[in-house]
Formats: sequence, structure tokens, C-alpha cells
Amino acid sequence: MGLGAGVAGAALLGVAAFLVVGVRSGPMSWVELLTSAVWDPSRGKYGATAMIWGTAVVAALALALAAPLGWGAAIALHEVAPARWRRALRTGCELLAVVPSIVYGLVGVAFVRPLVSELAGVPGGDSLLAAGLVLAVMVLPTVVAVSVDALAGVPARTREAAAACGLTRTEVIRSAVVPEARRGMGAAALLGLARALGETIAVYLVVGRADSLVPQSLGDAVTRAVRPGQTLTTKLNGPETVLAGTAGPHWAALCGLGLLLLAVVAAVTIAGSLRFRGHDPRKPGATSSKRWQPVPRAAHRWRKGRDRLARTWLVAILAVPLALVAGIAAVALTRGSAALDPSFWSTPALGASGGGISGQVAGTLLLVVVAGVLTAPVGLALGLLLSEYAGPGAARWLRTLTLTLGGVPSILLGLWGYWLFSSRLGWGKSWLAGAVVLAVVALPPVALAVAATISALPGERREAALAVGLRRDQLVRSVLVPHALPGLVTGLLLGLARAAGETAPLLFTAAVFSGAQPLPQGIRNAEVTALPTHIFTLAQDAADPAALRTAWGAALALMAVAGLLVLVALPVRRRLEARAA
Amino acid sequence: MTATPTTTIDTSTAASVRHLVVRKGDTVLVGPVSFELPAGTTLGLRGPSGSGKSTILRALVGLLPAGLTRTGDITVLDVTVGGAGVDLAALRSRAVLVGQTPVVFPASILANAGFGLRHLVRAPRAELRRRAEGALREAGLWDEVADRLDAPAEQLSVGQRQRLCLARALALDPSVLLLDEPTSALDAGATATVEAALAGLKARRTVLIVSHDRAQLARMCDDVMSLPACP
Repeated sequence: MGLGAGVAGAALLGVAAFLVVGVRSGPMSWVELLTSAVWDPSRGKYGATAMIWGTAVVAALALALAAPLGWGAAIALHEVAPARWRRALRTGCELLAVVPSIVYGLVGVAFVRPLVSELAGVPGGDSLLAAGLVLAVMVLPTVVAVSVDALAGVPARTREAAAACGLTRTEVIRSAVVPEARRGMGAAALLGLARALGETIAVYLVVGRADSLVPQSLGDAVTRAVRPGQTLTTKLNGPETVLAGTAGPHWAALCGLGLLLLAVVAAVTIAGSLRFRGHDPRKPGATSSKRWQPVPRAAHRWRKGRDRLARTWLVAILAVPLALVAGIAAVALTRGSAALDPSFWSTPALGASGGGISGQVAGTLLLVVVAGVLTAPVGLALGLLLSEYAGPGAARWLRTLTLTLGGVPSILLGLWGYWLFSSRLGWGKSWLAGAVVLAVVALPPVALAVAATISALPGERREAALAVGLRRDQLVRSVLVPHALPGLVTGLLLGLARAAGETAPLLFTAAVFSGAQPLPQGIRNAEVTALPTHIFTLAQDAADPAALRTAWGAALALMAVAGLLVLVALPVRRRLEARAA
Repeated sequence: MTATPTTTIDTSTAASVRHLVVRKGDTVLVGPVSFELPAGTTLGLRGPSGSGKSTILRALVGLLPAGLTRTGDITVLDVTVGGAGVDLAALRSRAVLVGQTPVVFPASILANAGFGLRHLVRAPRAELRRRAEGALREAGLWDEVADRLDAPAEQLSVGQRQRLCLARALALDPSVLLLDEPTSALDAGATATVEAALAGLKARRTVLIVSHDRAQLARMCDDVMSLPACP
């Protein structure tokens, strides 16, 4: 079991440690990094305030849109919509989370950039605003899912008690349900924020990547928001990372950016998960007691009308994520129609933008399968450790560690893989390095799913096994592991669906745009081509219609691969939930 | 049914139930049941657990859990429950249900007592506060909480919470009070306090109490109706 914790801990500490080593490898001034806006490696200037400002603006825009929308949609979904539609609506919202970030990037290139260009008069539309809008859509499913979980934690009798006093549905929601779910809904926003801060690829494609731009005044800040900018993640994802070598002042400054990003994202993730776990309405003192303000509400005759209005409004909000899902699906199907032709899947890529995607499909499948093989045993071990072996205190820490690892921006995992495998071990670009990084991406969902399944095991079954004299290891082998297998499968499928769409970790460790063997030989310098990185490269050539056609085709193929994994996983999870309930 | 269906329609009937049947899918959970609750009386509804007592109370104010369907006619305070265009929220503020498990909201004791008032009554703050405090007195909780009205309600014991829920209902000055096993969660001492509080209400309110405790109903009610075990 030490294996699981060891790997999770090593991965998280490894990321932090390699960044610290990187920072120490060259002269680097934290003061300059945190106070100067000028980033110019050719003159040895490394100031990051422009990137910090860009990251803050982009994340704030995303959260300002996604939090109210996500809360409203979650309330509509769980409290207003008929119970029999809940599952379908929830699945609909979850599909938004299945779309790989590279596809959001493509949507940003194709729709959001022109929109911003039109509205704000920015040539090309590359801007912090465009990045914020794209991120808002990406963060939305996180806010909805965590908020729905929080609402589901409010006992039915609370609603009944409030309704029994004669409150309308929306009054019940406002006065009884939301106050009890408030902590969890706050956590939803924090976890959404963590995702927004760490997202790389989609932002990279629309943010403009202009260095050293900081506002000089408040009015200037508004203007600058519709101009190109740079964020921490997009800087790390850029070509500088490879040019910097893996030591010296330039590399040290980049590692400083990474450390800053890791610290902020980890802090927000931990705050979010602690806050969510703190949600326990029955625990005395869990909620603050505000002094009673008996403010008279609207007169009687308005109550019914207000209720109806509020409910309509909530349902309209719920329509937003569902419309986005439908819209993205429709766009992918029409623009990516190339993928509907079987020959597109079986022909190798040709030149800069022609041909098919056979090599990319093979590469992605190879990476995902190897990542799955690596993650499964480690995830099972970590899940067992979380739920069975660790004491309550240690389990809490491990859980937080696992959640934090799950929140680490994948660009940082990519950099870590680049530093360790490509540079230190001298593998160059290697499929195995990419698969290991993807395995780390998939590890947290696998471990958490296993832990959740084991926790749902009825106590009697464990007792019955112990009562016939089983030792702990026998209990694990003959009761817990068989019980946890469906959880392992679900977690693995969902984790790999996410890993399959990851782009940033592959760019530095495993993938090239062309020139790779269909199946790599050996480990050193054994690069592959993959779907997400293929789309990424093509999407940067937005002026070429052939490139975009291939990119959308590859995007549809990628969504098909990821969607297939999820479609298999969701019914399994549903059956598990039914069994636990 | 042991209940005698009243044939004469009393003009002062607070609630009447005719041929109520509650089903889950094809399974009959309750009924058929018919009874009347005359205004100003206290009626007890007795039956073994699973006989659907709580379900009947919920049906009276249209709070049946999802998945249950009902047939039959229910009229409460001259409102046909489930009829077209019926404002159930308004009905529930006049016929208040107090659930079996005491639910307190994450707010202060006083805010809990005034929970419904805040939404339903348009009056100056001082007046709302006065009514919430009056409800705490009527529910027999005042002496125990008068010095800490702004403390979190979660601090209260189960027996005190039960009376706080009662106060929340009483603050609305309801015409009918529907009590679901008001003392099932309580020990003997707390039961006695709640019963004393309820005895004080009896003279002024129409009350329907559901309980499995035959002795308690005999102590508190003008009339007791018993339900057979579930079919």
C-alpha cells in the first residue's frame, strides 16, 4: 500500500522539488519576478507581474461568469427540475467536462476570437477577455457538479420543514436549502477557480501571448482586458521552455513561475476541498449563527408571481450549459465531418495539414493504454490506503494530497516529465515519458473512485468476513478488492478519458507533429504523434482552411475516444451509486 | 376502517379526507381512509408503524414524497388540496405540519422560531420579533432560551429542538396544527415537557396528532382514530 502513497507523494513532491531545484540552478530574484513587468530573456530580465495580472484577470473573468451560472444551474437541476429528469440533466452538464481542453481551444479560435474581435474591435480577437470567456465554459461543469453534490447533501426533511411553514419553492431554496449548502457551493467556486488558474492549452490559443503588458491605471486595466496578454501557464507552455535548457537563469525564472502557479493552485484546491468536507449541517457550530434580521419580505400577493419568475429564471440558467453542450456537439459534428469518413482514421497524415490521422490515433491509444496499465495498480493501492489502511488523521492528509495532485496544472506535470525523463534520464521525447505523465494525471480520479467504492461497502459484509477469522490482508484480497473492482474500472475510464485529451504534458515529453514511427521502437528518442497535440499544432494555423478541417476532424475523433470511455463508465458508476444508496 | 365516516357535513370542519388512497407504483401504502377533523378539536391518529400515518399528514398539505401518488378528496380549511390553481404554500402557512424529526435551520434560535413569519407576514420588525417570542412561550421553550435567543439553534437538545419546531409552526398562528409523532425522539422527561406544551395549545387550536403511543393519544386527544396495519 506504501506504493500508492509513495507514488502520489513522490509525484506531488517531485513536481515541487524539481521546480525548487530549477529555481536554485541559476541566479533568480524573487523580488524581480514578483515586482517587475519586464520579461526579456535576451536582456536577462525576468519580471512576472504581467503574467500574474493576466492570470488573475482571466481567472476572475471566468469565475465571475461561471460561479453564478453554475450555482443557478445546479439549483435549477437539483431543486426545480422534476426529479425524473435530474439524472439526464446532470449527465448533460457533465458532458461539458468531458470535452478535452484542446477542443475548447479550437472553439475559442473559431468562435470566441471572432466574437471578441467584433464586439471589442480587437484585431484577431486574441485577448484576456477571450481567454476568460473560454475558461468560463470550461469551469462551469466543475461548479455545477460540486454544487449539485452540496445540494444533494441537504436532507429532504429540511426542505419539508421549510415548505411546511408555507414557503414557496424559491423561498425554501433561498432560506433553507442554500444556507445549508453554502459551504459546498463556495467550495465549488474555489475548485472551479483552481481549474481556471491551471488551464493551459485553451488559454494559450486565444490569449495572444503578449509579454510585459501591465495596466498603468484603472481605466487602462479595462482596456487591457480586451488586448492580448500572457498568463503563467501560457508562458510555461511556450517555446521558451525548451530553449531555456534545464539550468541557468532563464530556466530558473520559468521554474519560479511554475512554483508560483503551483503554490496558488494548491492553496485554492486545498481550501476548496477542506471547505467542502467541512459541510456538515448536523455538526453543532458548523454554521455561523447570524443575528436574526426579521426583514419583512414582499407582500403576500407578490409571492406567487415572484416564485414563478425566479423558477423560470433558474431554468433559463440551466439551459446555458445544456445549450453549450449541444452547440459544441453540433459544431464538432459539422466541422469535423472529415472524421465521419473511415478512411480519415486509416490514412496517415500528409504534409502540413493533409491526409488522415491514423498515426495520431495509434499514438493516443498507445499512450492511454500504457497510462492505464501503470495507473491501475497504483490507483488501487492508493485507494485502499485512503479507505482502509490509513488512520483517520493520515487518511485526511492523504486525501488532501490526492486532491491536490488532481488539481496540479497539467503543464507543471509536463514540465516535470520533460525535466526528469527527457533531460535528466536522456530519453529525449519518449512515449513512455508521456504515458507516465498521463498516468499521474489519471491517478487521483482512480484512487478516489476506489476509496469511495470501498467506503460504500456495507459494514455487515466486512464484519461477516472478519467473524470467520480472516486476517486483514485476507479481508483485503477476498472482500475489499473484488468489491472495489467496479470503482477501479469507473475511475480508470474517467481518468483516462481526461488523460486522453491532455495536450500540455505531451508537448514536452512525448509528442511530435510529424515524422514519428507509427509505433515507436525502444524508449530513448521514441516519439509518437497524438491527437491532442496534432489539433494543437493545426489550430495555431487558423488561417489555413485545410488545417482547420483536419483539426476539427481530429477533435471529433478525440471526443469520440474520450466519450466512449465515459459512456462506458457512467452506467457503471450509476449502478455503484444505486448499490451504495 | 375503524374510523367512522361522518355523514353530516359540519360547517366548522377544519379538514376532511374522503377515500384517500396513496400508492407507490401499484402498491397501496395507505387507505382507503376517510375522516373529518372538526374545528377546535384534537384528533389522534393511531396505528402501527408502516400503517401510513405520516403519509396521511403529508397528503393533507400536499407534501407527499416524490414517487407517491394519491387518489381521493382532501379538503383542508375549505381548500381542495391538489385542485387546479390551489396555492399550496398559502395553505401550508395556515395548516402547519411539524415533522417527526426536529429540523432546525442553521441560524439562531429566534430566527428559527420566526423562520416562516419572515416570509409570510408583512409587519414591522418589532412586531415580528414579538410574535416569534410569543411562539417560543406558547411552545414552552421560552424559559430555557430567553437568555440566548441569538445562539445557534444547533446547540439545543433534541427535546428543545422539537419544541422549537413547534414554536416555528405556532408563530404563524395556524388554524390547524399537524403533528407527526411529536415525542418519538424524546426521553420520558422531554416527552412530559412537550406534552405539557401541547396540552396548553389544545384549548385554542385544531390539532391532528399522529402517534403509535396509545396512552399518549388517550391523554391528549378528544377523539382517537386507529388505522389498520398496512395491507
